[in-house]
Amino acid sequence: MTKHVGMFASAQHSNMQRRDFLKLMGAGGAALSAGSLSWASRAAAQDAATVAFWATATLDIGDKWKAFATQNGVAPEFTDNGNDIGPVIARLAAGNANDLFDIGGFQGGAEKELARQGLIIPWDLTKIPNYESVWQWAKDIPYLKHDGKQYSIPTVVNADSIIYRPDKLGKVDSYGVIFDPKLKGRVAMEDAWINSAIFTAMYLKESENKPIVEPGNLTESELGLVMEFLIKHKKDGQFRTFWNGWEQGVQLVADQEVDAMTGWEPIVYEGRKRGLQVEYAAPVEGYEGWGNNTVLLKGAGDRGVTDTAHKFVNGLLGGFYGCELGQARGYLVPTDNNLTYAKAHPDEYKPDEVGKLAEHVKAKFAGKVYWQNTRPDNFQLYEEWWQKLRNA
Amino acid sequence: MSRARLPISSMLMAPPLLAILAFGLLPLIVVVVWSFWSWDPVTYWIKPDLSLAGYAGILEAGRWTVIVSTLIKAFGTALLCLLIAYPTSYAIHFLAGRRLNVILLALITIPFFTSYLIRSFSWRLVLGRAGIINDWLQAVGITDAPVDWLLFSNFAVVVGLVASYLPFAIFPLLLSMRRVDPTYLAAAQDLGAGFWKGLTTILLPLTKSGIFAGFLFVFVMVVGSSTEVQMLGGAGASIVSVMINDVMRVANYPMAFAISTIVLAVIFGLVLIGNRIFGLASLFEDQSP
Amino acid sequence: MMLREGLANRVLLWVVTVAGLLVIYAPPLYLLAISFNPALQPGLPRLSELSLKWYASLRQETALIGALEQSLIIATATAVLATIMSLLAALAYFELRARRTAWLLAVILPMFVPGVIQGLALSAVFTRAGIKASTLTVIAGHLLWAMPFAFIVILTSFAAVRRSYLVAAADLGANWGRQFIDITLPLVRPGLISAFIFSFLLSLNEFTRAFYLAGRQNTLPVVLFGKMNSGASPVIYAMSGAIFLISVLCVVLIALRFLWQARVADSGRRMAR
Repeated sequence: MTKHVGMFASAQHSNMQRRDFLKLMGAGGAALSAGSLSWASRAAAQDAATVAFWATATLDIGDKWKAFATQNGVAPEFTDNGNDIGPVIARLAAGNANDLFDIGGFQGGAEKELARQGLIIPWDLTKIPNYESVWQWAKDIPYLKHDGKQYSIPTVVNADSIIYRPDKLGKVDSYGVIFDPKLKGRVAMEDAWINSAIFTAMYLKESENKPIVEPGNLTESELGLVMEFLIKHKKDGQFRTFWNGWEQGVQLVADQEVDAMTGWEPIVYEGRKRGLQVEYAAPVEGYEGWGNNTVLLKGAGDRGVTDTAHKFVNGLLGGFYGCELGQARGYLVPTDNNLTYAKAHPDEYKPDEVGKLAEHVKAKFAGKVYWQNTRPDNFQLYEEWWQKLRNA
Repeated sequence: MSRARLPISSMLMAPPLLAILAFGLLPLIVVVVWSFWSWDPVTYWIKPDLSLAGYAGILEAGRWTVIVSTLIKAFGTALLCLLIAYPTSYAIHFLAGRRLNVILLALITIPFFTSYLIRSFSWRLVLGRAGIINDWLQAVGITDAPVDWLLFSNFAVVVGLVASYLPFAIFPLLLSMRRVDPTYLAAAQDLGAGFWKGLTTILLPLTKSGIFAGFLFVFVMVVGSSTEVQMLGGAGASIVSVMINDVMRVANYPMAFAISTIVLAVIFGLVLIGNRIFGLASLFEDQSP
Repeated sequence: MMLREGLANRVLLWVVTVAGLLVIYAPPLYLLAISFNPALQPGLPRLSELSLKWYASLRQETALIGALEQSLIIATATAVLATIMSLLAALAYFELRARRTAWLLAVILPMFVPGVIQGLALSAVFTRAGIKASTLTVIAGHLLWAMPFAFIVILTSFAAVRRSYLVAAADLGANWGRQFIDITLPLVRPGLISAFIFSFLLSLNEFTRAFYLAGRQNTLPVVLFGKMNSGASPVIYAMSGAIFLISVLCVVLIALRFLWQARVADSGRRMAR
């Protein structure tokens, strides 16, 4: 649910003023907008306290936010932040994001930097009772805390590996398939060093026994090793392309452009929905773990909506959100509350499906997992190497 | 009379000048100044320590090659668009009857209304291994396996760029052709000039402003583009906007600003050179006898 | 027409025109076709499969519709402001004598700034000036983006304004204002209309600046970009298709009206003879 901001938008309006203002705008807006039904629904949802949630579309549940609002007493206004961490951080640091939004949701790793710059403020875990139910290994994800304070809450976690066509390749269980010369021009990787460098490092570490300690945080020499490997393969024409974004990823697999590529699991679900034979590999080298976390923006503190924000995040961990996200996209909120909710509302969500998803993800994380990190120590070096890869 | 002119031109200039200064120049100054600041590893933002590190970085990792290749792409696309747009504009203005003229004009405007993003994406579907063109090529028997280089290659990028920005070249050309009195061309023909001679000696000079505008529009759009290259270019293909994004992703704002400053300086330099050679002001001059 | 191009040349010209149109139209037509395919996988539908399923679901897409409204509002405001400002700038250009080229260069300079940079820098300026992000900030960014284009388009159309006309009018006693309204304005009307349309379309499709300058309501390109990156049903193709069809309708209606007026004028002229 997105809010139509008129000419006089100011994030410092209190909820009361916002409600009245919206009713006023609604009357005038009905004349402007194509259909007045959209206005009616927006105005109605203003009865709960609102909070502005600026997050990747991964965390969006669309129409179901209304149901979420009724259940939790907090109505989030979801705005898509584009999923590219670069512009998101830029907008937080130099732009207007803190004036507009209360809660952010994006890939983990940048919390340290945002905290140091004072752009995000710590969560008060006493106000988030549902945090107890979060699985321990999710609580232990490295970058959630900084200086002993909890800066981000793990909201969605998953472990990535390879999407492949079993009808073309049989069973795939190693990242070697991506670098297999027999598949020249028929594989792809994501156009993001965040993921692709880790996958390559994992492969080199586990299957070629190269001296790499932490694939998510490569040292200068390790990085050189990994990137030279990638550059060599790119020059050999190994990659059909580097993909960028959901629709591109699905299209590559669906249109036979590639037979295997590293990528996100929901692409497999989507592919199957479209009638394709696709599988997600369980590679011997392990998975890349990632989390989309919610952070509390400083602007929320300035505007005094932190309590509402805490209520919101508590709601995210409450079970309904997890069930909906799991059903819509196959993504998991790391808490047992999902299963509890499904068992209590079997007409809305099938408990065994919710349970299966939880077990599936837990099983992945029980094995070898290396964590994604948007801010490795040498992150600027990563970019430099990626430029070299581009120009190779 | 001439004394009355001065206040009028100042009054006229004021609103656009204000807008340009506030929304255009001010941010530019900020960008240029910040490009000389350093990245602060403590705050992950920038601090006012003057340094040329941002600019030095452009010489590494082949970044300057991206700037050069972007300019070449822009130049080539603009030229190609002009080559297609000129005959098209001629046909629309001189050959088409009144009705067809209007229809064609309408046809050219319409695709503008759809998003670049989705248009570029659909070229993947058309040019891909399972796309229409490959299907047709195999059906007709020209090839027996899908042609790989149709997509994820420079060919695809050029096709995508031309498809996106051709109307930008057609519009100004059409506008400039309107001011050409067809009697000039007819007179030239009566005096014995063939079609091509008439074209080069009369039409081309009279439509100079349209040619300049068309070229400039396409050039500028390509330099600022990113979707076509990202969607159609292949493994890691790059262009200036993508590179700036990459650099910003790692909080290296001084370098991002340095790259922009350089790009701006280069393009502006080219425009100034063009002005020296062609004399921009004369392009829009009143050309009445 | 009065020209004789010769058959070969004429064919060549039309061939290039058609080729150009094909290249421009291939993507939108393909998209239109895809939007009628009820399957999740975008591809050409078989004739038997045609369905309006995605169009029907458009009504529920509050995010897309909200973004579309926002984009239309911003585009209209940008077009109006850009056309007016560019007209003023063009008039100033012709009034200036010595500083003409400098003014031209100053106005077109914003064209060359990459969208990412202008968006971020302008957003930073606004933040430090305490101006909150909203529809207005996006309009400001888009105004600077569209103005150089509109300016050049209007400049090109000024060629129809012969100095001799203005001098004649002055001799007849018209002051600057009268000259402008009675002579200049009607002559540059095609340029003004083109500039308006150009600015409107430039703003409608603009993505990067809008991302940095937008308030909570994103514009359509920003929302489409987000949806393409993180999971969208083919409803985005239906949205594109709908916009395409509506714009075809609008343009066709305007064209028909224009043609009808022309025909009336023609027959009027014929009767007057």
